[in-house]
Amino acid sequence: MRVLVTGATAPIGTGLIHALLADPEVEHVLGVGLEDAAPLTDARFSYRAVDLTRARASHDLIHGPARTLGIDVVVHGALHRAARDRGDRVHAANVETTRQLLLECERQPLVRRFVLRSAAEVYALRASEPNLLDEDAPLELDPRAPQWVRDRVEADLTVCARMGMSSLRVVVLRAAEVLAAGTGSQLWDYLRSRVCLRPLGFDPMINVLSIDDAVHALWLAAGRSGQGVYNIPGADTLPLTSLIARSGRRDVPVPGPLLAPLYDLRAWLVGFQFRYDQNLRRFHFGGVVDGARARADLGYRPTIRCVG
Amino acid sequence: MLVTTAFHDEGHGYDLFGFHPATAARVARVVAPLYDRYFRVRSHGNERVPAGRAILVANHSGVLPIDAVMLWLDILRHTGRLARVVADRFVPRLPFVGTWMARTGAISGSRANVRCLLERDELLAIFPEGVTGVAKPRAQQYQLQAWRVGHVELAIRHQAPVVPVAIIGAEESWPMLLRIGALHPFGAPYLPVPASPLPLPVSYEIYYGAPIELHRGLAADRADDPDVLAEAAARSRAALEALIAHGLAERRSRRP
Repeated sequence: MRVLVTGATAPIGTGLIHALLADPEVEHVLGVGLEDAAPLTDARFSYRAVDLTRARASHDLIHGPARTLGIDVVVHGALHRAARDRGDRVHAANVETTRQLLLECERQPLVRRFVLRSAAEVYALRASEPNLLDEDAPLELDPRAPQWVRDRVEADLTVCARMGMSSLRVVVLRAAEVLAAGTGSQLWDYLRSRVCLRPLGFDPMINVLSIDDAVHALWLAAGRSGQGVYNIPGADTLPLTSLIARSGRRDVPVPGPLLAPLYDLRAWLVGFQFRYDQNLRRFHFGGVVDGARARADLGYRPTIRCVG
Repeated sequence: MLVTTAFHDEGHGYDLFGFHPATAARVARVVAPLYDRYFRVRSHGNERVPAGRAILVANHSGVLPIDAVMLWLDILRHTGRLARVVADRFVPRLPFVGTWMARTGAISGSRANVRCLLERDELLAIFPEGVTGVAKPRAQQYQLQAWRVGHVELAIRHQAPVVPVAIIGAEESWPMLLRIGALHPFGAPYLPVPASPLPLPVSYEIYYGAPIELHRGLAADRADDPDVLAEAAARSRAALEALIAHGLAERRSRRP
């Protein structure tokens, strides 16, 4: 197996590259990132700094170095992480990059597999259907949703729409939120405050994923032959109040309508990325992705906890 | 008192749905005086509740679902099992109430939720009348209202027996004066106005019927056949109606 990994300099991408290189069946890994410096050195690893938002760059990558190296699996997880950023450039990074990369992979005959690391945030959380979200749960198609969410839904659906349309085997992993720095985690940012405000009267169940489990799921998806959409839950499922307490933070319940302006003010003053409007439904009704399908088809079981 | 045979700890003392045994035990202690002294609940035939996956199907009434709470505690006391009460879909919107119900094991009736629980051989408690049961007028006490077929679909798809449960007494304990349909607090279908400020201390009798194997001879995919569902729902409804009639007759026979 020869694997191309986008987002190679981000924590999950770097972790995946390490995991792949630890697998003797992996002959070569081609890492792609925006930074000039490669995240590691290894005889079976090569690195390219490529701006994938440029269609020509995607084309040249897949039909150039990827073809030369005999890449047969592409793992794409390079989505824009900052939730407060918006606009055409962010959309291009999230959606157009994914679309272009997928189309180029379909046209390049050596590539046989495309794995997208999507996110559990693509699901619409509703009071009427809380708790377990399986892969058939409704997606968040509300045009008022933040761009961070809308872009992920669009990228996810763009890839899902190509499933079965070519010889490329397509896998979409809808991963729970990775609670770690540098991953774009909203909860990580939320828990950076000593005092965490939450809606009064609500204490939803939250599921978070460790980097190690996210990497393991991607490694499994890259190596299997099937295709489909899979939820990837984490090993930690707990109420929001417990998550706050176990993170050593102070939990302060506040009437819901006050939270969005308070967190907007915090972002304005301190520059944090946490957006309450993006997490409003999750902080009221929860939503835990159901990993039954990934367990059955991929053999994925979360094992590594990231909450003490 | 709280037996946790059905508890699947996700590592932090809660299950996927937010059930927390210690909180449930506290709630059971708080509710016990209502069960023992206020409503003086008597349980009949609880040994009929099977050990594995099963669906309790009960009549529903009252301004608030006190009958569901009494059934939950009755099951806990007499079988040591946790009845996962399937709550109406507006319940999670209710501040505090939604959280407390989740901590005691109640769930929303989404497909993924119930599938997960039945695959774990848990015990569901469903009120197929839904809100129409709670809102029934006094003249229709003990007459089953709109009978949803979701419980028989689950029973066939997951090959689970259905246990009819007649709750006698609840239907007189808190009659509804009127429903204000123009008001929908927290997404509720109406604002209930009870005839009395508190429920009346009517004694409860809970009767468990013999398990019905609606799935017998049917493959799981027959749960997609509307005719099969309609026939199975008619059977479960008839069984519960017979059990209610039996319970009412027993109550009449005991009265001087």
